[in-house]
Amino acid sequence: MYKELDPMLLSQLRLAIMSYLMVVREAEFNALREETAASAGNLSAQISKLQEAGYIVVEKTYKNNYPLTLCKLTPRGIEAFEAFYVDLKTYFNQDQV
Amino acid sequence: MENEEKVLNPAESLRIIRETIDVAKKGVQENGFHFLLWGWLVVIAGLSEYYLRQMHRGLEPSMVWMIMPVIGVPTAFIYEWRRDKKQQGQNIVREWYGMLWLAFGISLILAIALTVRAHVSPIPVILILAAFATFMSGILLRFKALVFGAIVLWAGAAICMVVPIGEHALVQAGATVLGYLVPGYMLNQKARSRHV
Repeated sequence: MYKELDPMLLSQLRLAIMSYLMVVREAEFNALREETAASAGNLSAQISKLQEAGYIVVEKTYKNNYPLTLCKLTPRGIEAFEAFYVDLKTYFNQDQV
Repeated sequence: MENEEKVLNPAESLRIIRETIDVAKKGVQENGFHFLLWGWLVVIAGLSEYYLRQMHRGLEPSMVWMIMPVIGVPTAFIYEWRRDKKQQGQNIVREWYGMLWLAFGISLILAIALTVRAHVSPIPVILILAAFATFMSGILLRFKALVFGAIVLWAGAAICMVVPIGEHALVQAGATVLGYLVPGYMLNQKARSRHV
């Protein structure tokens, strides 16, 4: 039985952001941009959507006097990603995932 | 990622998760430093203990193991401290890796204390614990040589059952060379080839 997938994570860039954060826990905006090869504007827009959904939090701080944007997964985001992965597996045979 | 709102199908979703996690895991590459450091210290201490036992030089042979806390701990600490300064950000796999070896260290200290107190050779227990941590490291880093190394260490522990206690240090040195140093050098070689 196929499960309906979370539409928030069915976007290529949002899923890439979430997957990356699942491993590194937190990442600077520039690191996310480098890893996802996305434009700054697009990345910023998708980060805002994930933030609105409560999947990530964005902290703006300073490092060596330079502004720093740090993205972190929230417990809700982790739960959503894990649920998404479990639901995704219903679309494949066990040996494909 | 040019398409701003590209809606994925399940196969694409799975591919993106895998690709992104693979990229993120590259930050966890180990260079085998700890395997080489601790491996050589164990080999030196094990062979020295065996030699002193055979020679009856009047020294307490097991005292040679003091090189582990005296040389190993400060060296490992300085290395990690310098590496932490270079690396950016957290990484969950690196965290698990660190926690695994921390748990190994705590278990090792307790196991040595308990076995020495019970007048039992600590070496088979040390080999079993090292095998467990090496096996899990192999799984986490996806490096098969470490998994084979763990099997060698388990085999070393099994061999201790059939050889005299006086020979345990020799078995440990041999198992460490094959199960710890060889995968350590392979890991180091892999790290060097990535930076060429």
